[in-house]
Amino acid sequence: MAGRRSKLVPLQEALAAVSDGCTLAVGGLWFHNKPMAALRELIRRGVRHLTLIAAPPSSLDSDLLIGAGLVKDAYLAHVSFEHLGLAPNFRHAVEHGLVELHECDEATLLGGLMATLEGLPYHPISSLRGTDHLRTSPLAMPYIARDGSAMVAAPALKPDVAILHAQEADEYGNVRCFGAPFVDPIFAKTASHVIVTVDKLVSNGEVRQAPSRTTIPGYLVDAVVEAPFGAHPCSSHGLHPHDEAHLRGYLAASNAALRGIEPGAFQAYLQRYVFACHSHDEYLEAIGGPLDLVAVP
Amino acid sequence: MTGCSIRELMVVALARELRDGDLCMTGTNSEVPVAACLLAQQLQAPNLTLILPSGIVNPRPGRLYRSAADGRWLAGAEAVGSGYDLFELSENGRLDAMFYGGVQIDRHGNINLTQVREPAFRGPGLANISFAVVAKRIYLYAMSHTRRTFVDRVDYLTAPGHLDGGSSRRDLGINTEGPVFCITPLAVLGFTPDTKEMMVRSVHPGIGAQQVVDSTGFSLPEPPPWAMTEAPTRGELRALREGVDTTGVLRADT
Repeated sequence: MAGRRSKLVPLQEALAAVSDGCTLAVGGLWFHNKPMAALRELIRRGVRHLTLIAAPPSSLDSDLLIGAGLVKDAYLAHVSFEHLGLAPNFRHAVEHGLVELHECDEATLLGGLMATLEGLPYHPISSLRGTDHLRTSPLAMPYIARDGSAMVAAPALKPDVAILHAQEADEYGNVRCFGAPFVDPIFAKTASHVIVTVDKLVSNGEVRQAPSRTTIPGYLVDAVVEAPFGAHPCSSHGLHPHDEAHLRGYLAASNAALRGIEPGAFQAYLQRYVFACHSHDEYLEAIGGPLDLVAVP
Repeated sequence: MTGCSIRELMVVALARELRDGDLCMTGTNSEVPVAACLLAQQLQAPNLTLILPSGIVNPRPGRLYRSAADGRWLAGAEAVGSGYDLFELSENGRLDAMFYGGVQIDRHGNINLTQVREPAFRGPGLANISFAVVAKRIYLYAMSHTRRTFVDRVDYLTAPGHLDGGSSRRDLGINTEGPVFCITPLAVLGFTPDTKEMMVRSVHPGIGAQQVVDSTGFSLPEPPPWAMTEAPTRGELRALREGVDTTGVLRADT
């Protein structure tokens, strides 16, 4: 009798599914629950020409991938570091045409994803009126309903690969989000291939003891990667907050490079935290060890 | 003004506007509206529901966090929604109140978070535009009151306020009220009933009327003298500091 197949794989192996030119969806929101260990590995691998989709409010994930030159075009509704400031590499790349940005917002982005998960070519949206997005957004296609009312329709958006970060999963891909799952369950339902990094691997027995705590069931997931503190410097809801000092350092380095004050500052950041670390374990060493994180106020 | 910070005053002035029973949603950089909702729950609006942009419902962590999506807002919360709940809220008109800031806000309360022409600037973008259409009321807030923020007409209309003023919102088939209020570090603003132009309701203690005129990039319809914003009462400040902002986030340097 064949045994049940484990989906637990090392990070490098899981990310083989991401190839040049593919459409990549990144879960989480702002600088929370972001699969940063996986994104750093993608940068080390030198994946190029990605079409990037991020959950409507995005932050370090998009800014880092764009700054490192992995992104050709992107569906991003909002990119910022909230109270810490604007997203420097995103802003620079869009202002200089280095990345083709497809204007969108929450309703059109989610509408496009919902079309895919419902098996429809597009999803009508009745709530967008009076915005310049009606002329600039490819996801706000003019649409006349059968009752004659004018609305928009978002064409189906289909990620090839989704990368998500959650707090726990078992080896069969049953995922438990402690905090806000946000768009992650929708990404899991729409992407052809779903990779989830988790802070902690739990047993299938533990999952079965509390099935209502499973936020993404295993049948939606293709690969599980154990990566403790894999969201750092972003937060992992319920486990640790974001590392604000690290994020400020990232912003300072990016801004210093883009303003010509210290042209090599962003490359130095990449060298120190991405290229010089050959694994996630080495990254945790580079940030001074994981124990410090728990103490972040 | 003595005894409270400008952000505390902004929070109190906004909280006074919120109504009992309101279903409120906040967005990015939202410490002022989040604090105002939590304060209003403690004062005149115990049945107000606050939904954070992460989907967390009625958080009660006993302090403020500066990131709207911080996981620590989970403490004491009543529920956690998902991305699907946000789509549903975008479409069905359930929301009473939405709060927006802007890179630019114009005379008619239109919001630009997308791009500025001169000097060329790419803004952060706006996650949810639909709430400006479907929420019954929009409350605007700006953390700086300058001619760069308060412009005659937005360079890019990300989210609709009163569009060209008058009945133009209704003419486009938008049946919600649109912007009703705007709080800045200098003044409380509202909108004229007919033309839907932004007007000064009151100027904060210690701020001169001329300073407001000089800091606004369009002419204000009702000339001074203007009323003075009522400073937070002892009770309001106590509720804010002891029940909402226990660590003094609103008093700290930003």
